[in-house]
Amino acid sequence: MEDEEDQQKAADLVKELVLRLLSQNPTSDSHPPNPNSSDFHNSLRYAIRILSSRLTPSIAPDSAAVAESIKRRFATQGRSSEALTFADLYTKFASKNGPGSVNNKWAVIYLLKIISQDRKNLNTQLDTSVLLPNLGFAENESGKNSRILSGHGSQEKGWNNGVLLVSKDPDNRRDIAFKEFVNLIKEENEVSEEVLVRDVLYACQGVDGKYVKFDNKADAYLLSDLIKVPRATRTMVRKLCDLGCLFKKVTGYISQSMDRFPAEDVGTIGQAFCAALQDELSEYYKLLAVLEAQSMNPIPLVSETATSGNYLSLRRLAVWFAEPIVKMRLKADLVDKCRVLRGGAMAGAIHLHAQHGDPLVHEFMRQLLRRVCSPLFDMVRRWVLEGELEDIFAEFFIVSQPVKAEALWREGYRLQTGMLPSFISPSLAQRILRTGKSINFLRVCCEDRGWADAATEAAPATGTMTRRGGFGYGETDALESLVDVASKRIDKHLLDVMYKQYKFKEHCLAIKRYLLLGQGDFVQYLMDIVGPELSEPANTISSFKLAGLLESAIRSSNAQYDDPDILDRLRVKMMPHETGDRGWDVFSLEYDARVPLDTVLTESVMERYLRIFNFLWKLRRVEHALIGAWKTMKPNCITSHSFNKLQHAVKMQLLSTLRRCQVLWDEMNHFVSNLQYYIMFEVLEVSWSIFSNEMEVAKDLDDLLAAHEKYLHSIIEKSLLGERSQMLYKSLFVLFDLILRFRSHADRLYEGVHELQARTMVSSLSSRDQNKSRKQLSDRSLEAGSWITDGRKALTQRAGEFLRKTGQDLDAIAKEYSSLLEGFISQLPVQQHVDLKFLLFRLDFSEFYRRLLPSI
Amino acid sequence: MDMEAARTARESLDLAFHMSNILDTGLDRHTLSVLIALCDMNVNPEALAAVVKELRSEKLSSSSLLPTSAPSSFS
Repeated sequence: MEDEEDQQKAADLVKELVLRLLSQNPTSDSHPPNPNSSDFHNSLRYAIRILSSRLTPSIAPDSAAVAESIKRRFATQGRSSEALTFADLYTKFASKNGPGSVNNKWAVIYLLKIISQDRKNLNTQLDTSVLLPNLGFAENESGKNSRILSGHGSQEKGWNNGVLLVSKDPDNRRDIAFKEFVNLIKEENEVSEEVLVRDVLYACQGVDGKYVKFDNKADAYLLSDLIKVPRATRTMVRKLCDLGCLFKKVTGYISQSMDRFPAEDVGTIGQAFCAALQDELSEYYKLLAVLEAQSMNPIPLVSETATSGNYLSLRRLAVWFAEPIVKMRLKADLVDKCRVLRGGAMAGAIHLHAQHGDPLVHEFMRQLLRRVCSPLFDMVRRWVLEGELEDIFAEFFIVSQPVKAEALWREGYRLQTGMLPSFISPSLAQRILRTGKSINFLRVCCEDRGWADAATEAAPATGTMTRRGGFGYGETDALESLVDVASKRIDKHLLDVMYKQYKFKEHCLAIKRYLLLGQGDFVQYLMDIVGPELSEPANTISSFKLAGLLESAIRSSNAQYDDPDILDRLRVKMMPHETGDRGWDVFSLEYDARVPLDTVLTESVMERYLRIFNFLWKLRRVEHALIGAWKTMKPNCITSHSFNKLQHAVKMQLLSTLRRCQVLWDEMNHFVSNLQYYIMFEVLEVSWSIFSNEMEVAKDLDDLLAAHEKYLHSIIEKSLLGERSQMLYKSLFVLFDLILRFRSHADRLYEGVHELQARTMVSSLSSRDQNKSRKQLSDRSLEAGSWITDGRKALTQRAGEFLRKTGQDLDAIAKEYSSLLEGFISQLPVQQHVDLKFLLFRLDFSEFYRRLLPSI
Repeated sequence: MDMEAARTARESLDLAFHMSNILDTGLDRHTLSVLIALCDMNVNPEALAAVVKELRSEKLSSSSLLPTSAPSSFS
């Protein structure tokens, strides 16, 4: 009942309201509208429809808040007095309570507020049409106007009003000026913001819009010059369209790479990079799609006003694009940097960009890098665990070269520093290289299959490797531990194979014993049996014969108990000879290392062994010669009393010559045996002991190689074969030659002495028993017959002459020898080696030479 | 009592009218009272505002410019 009443009342009120509103005109238009006219009915229906369509307000009822917002608006407009008045009125209004007062105060205030806003908006729109009536209205408004205001000269009216206004209220000038400005802007702005927004969105997808087009000259999206827009808008559009340029660059790179892919070598890392970029771009596409959808929708406003623009304005776009622009710029940077790079170098370049303080950038780069690096890490994994170099595009930082088996370790694989990304340290790269190399070495050179077990053990040990591509960028620690474990196991296995299966140590020992003459009895015997052969000219010697002699030397010495495999590798080698060379100059022994030992004992290494052998062989030969001389000199006790019957002068001459020879021999022997001792014990044995210790602790083949290199180097340096001691070496060889010459002189001397001895015996015998022995002697020495026939006097004379001549020779040799030795010894302290000081000490133990040579 | 209520009502209307003028709504006293009555009947103020706006724009005939100067005369 009451409801009905209320409804009735409301309907009446609405009717009244419509009536009031329609008739609410200033005095000039005071005739009340006919309540029955169709206009009125239309309006009424319209009003009721509006009222019934919206039953509840869109904001929560809070009168104080609304009043506050009104006040604030006044305040911001600089109308503080009005704000105060309003506040005052509001408090009074709100304090009215009880019967007769307004119940729904909030609604009233809110209503007032909205109406006032609406009016203001209407005013600005209307004013333009009034001030510049012939410039055209917004269509629908003008349509309505013409429809409703039939009978009223609207233009005239407007003008009148405008003039009236200006004249009446000078304050309005500013308003008018402002409105004129707005108008100008409107006229200028041929393109509405919505269109621009749409164009910008197109440009950001790399497509030319209606007004925003790509300019090749400027390499940017530009708003066409013909369009009049404020400069601010222009720059903003340009800024936003930067995104489009960057996008274009990135997509250009991707499509270019993809096009090139099958034909040229983009490489797996390049592909991964493209894929990662594409993924990132799909994020971007999503954003664009959302924005585009949004751009169609208007802003949901509280009230439906004419000004509710599109949801997206250029400024909103700027906010939306803030982050994508940063990312896109990064991507474009990367694309620029990576255009010419490939493989590991590309990953390294991207990594450099990841060193960024901004967490956004950092995270973005991390994700990108994870994807980019995954093929690289996969390669590392395969290389370390399987020794496979799966790198068709040459992107890996390890490259292989086709080489022979013996050079596989040294030259087969190497690091390519250009492709090494900076997040893998050089030492780690070295270890990675070595691990894979070890596997390949085992596979190719050692024909070993055990490495697979070692590798498979390594994989679970690190825990990360059960899944494929188990680690990625940023997990360098995991990578390092994997490489560590794998390399340890594989290197250990490799060394095991080298030591046990291929008997590396035994072979080194064999080289020391045979090539470095460590096995004394063998060397002695070999020297004995090849000596006569080697005295022949080099071109007459057959190496087959020497090989036979070597064989017999092995069989007759302790060497025969050695491993036949080792003995099998020992060979005779004749070096290329020149005319006049003796066998001694070209003879050498050779050891056949074979795969895989030839990785350590390469040809150049064997050449150095050969040099050492030649030196030692010469030394041995000199020693051997001196011992031979000693053998002939030994029976001198016999000679002393057998010459009793000689003339005193001749006898004295003989004795002094013999003595001089003895002394010289002794001096030479002292030198040679000490040098020999030094070489054998201070050099070879010490170096060997160090080497075998290092062999024990060697962790990988590189260590072993280094140890062996050190061993060989120390031998060469200490035995005066090095570069620095060449002078010393030369003078040593001159000394050796002199000693060999001495040997021949001594031999001749003793030959003569024996001859003489025999002769005197004969002559003394002949006095007693001439007839008996003459026949004998004539048989014995026919070639020395000249002596026999001569008499005793002639004999003495001859002997004296011979002795004098020999004595002179010996003197010359002694003089030369002492000067040479002096030179040699004086050079010794100049050498850098500490060990050579020991040699000096040994040679000059009693400081005999020092006293002779104050310069030392 | 009735007198009292009537007075309160009139005062409230006065105050509302003042506020309306300050806010430059262009409503006259009678229309405002109708609107207040409708508000008291819990009609959505937004809808009411929409009606006012629409109907005004319909009869935009000539002169709704004048109210721009209204505030100065009232304040």
